[in-house]
Amino acid sequence: MENGPTLAEALIQMGKFIGAGICMGAGAIGPGIGEGHVGDGAMQAMARQPELIGVLTTRMLLSQAVCETTGLYSLLISILMLFVL
Amino acid sequence: MKLSLDRKTKVLLVVFLLIYIFLGILNAIYLSKQSMSEAFKNVANRWVLKLPFGQGIFSRVNPLTIFMTWIIMFVIIIVVYRFRKPKLIPDRKQAALESVMDFVYQMVEDAIPDQRFVRPTFYIACTLFLFIVLSNILGGAIPGISIEANAQGNIEKIHLFSDTWFSPTADINTNAFLAVFVFLISQVFAIKSKGLKAWAKSWFEPIPFMFPMNVIGELSKPISHSLRLFGNIAGGALLTYLLAYMAKYLFLPVVLWGFFGIFVGVIQALVFTVLAIAYISSALS
Repeated sequence: MENGPTLAEALIQMGKFIGAGICMGAGAIGPGIGEGHVGDGAMQAMARQPELIGVLTTRMLLSQAVCETTGLYSLLISILMLFVL
Repeated sequence: MKLSLDRKTKVLLVVFLLIYIFLGILNAIYLSKQSMSEAFKNVANRWVLKLPFGQGIFSRVNPLTIFMTWIIMFVIIIVVYRFRKPKLIPDRKQAALESVMDFVYQMVEDAIPDQRFVRPTFYIACTLFLFIVLSNILGGAIPGISIEANAQGNIEKIHLFSDTWFSPTADINTNAFLAVFVFLISQVFAIKSKGLKAWAKSWFEPIPFMFPMNVIGELSKPISHSLRLFGNIAGGALLTYLLAYMAKYLFLPVVLWGFFGIFVGVIQALVFTVLAIAYISSALS
């Protein structure tokens, strides 16, 4: 145990990993719910009016990409925690 | 799809593929011996060049961003030079370019209420779309030369075909510039359209008490606008690197994943363009 990490270093490592895991896991909840809502609405609209599928698919992907933003923020923060800090 | 290539292009493609596979196997032999923490040690560092003048943050540049921006600008200029005289009966490439421009023009025409500002907004939106699409696809799907730097910003290693090209939009500075540019353009258009007095009055609506809320609402637009693109492209580049490490730097299986990189890149370029048009139109109305 001479060359191993000290207790403080080990605690810092542990905090980084736990923080990154919580950040990514909790940050994925919101975009999941939001994109599910968007997909739900788009599917219902497509079932009612199949002739509008082309337009609706584009709009659906667009709004899902906007919903995904907060998930990407948490991805960035967890990457920063793991690799930079 | 039927491709018709001439002999010269075929030879060039075969030579490129042979060099690429050879370098990929070399990478797989030499680089896969390093452990994961070693391979990902410098993933968040950028090559930074110190300028002899200036001080603080104004004396540092990121040379890789500047090179890649120039390369993309060069590609766009070549495309524009080739299509400077549009033919009356379009061939296949011109038809593709025209359909992209027509798509953007339809969106602009639907969104902008003032007829005088339709064409300037179309120029801005189309430029943004072409630049961001090219740089996103470069950073998400195409393997190339990458530079590994240490924490001080000096070059440590240069890799061939072990990572994708560095995309200019994976640097927050490029995105922040584009977003602030869209913000300033929207305010200038609003002043031109409504007049200085009505524009100043629009900050105090519906009651003067709401002025700080309006300021914060306007200033938060460029921040979320730039961070959205940065998060997508930087995260995508990192995921590509992770998959390339798992596939031992042979990009051949990762080419399948390139579909996802191209898909996300095009969608995010579209989102950036649509939001730019929406911000300009909300400033005008």
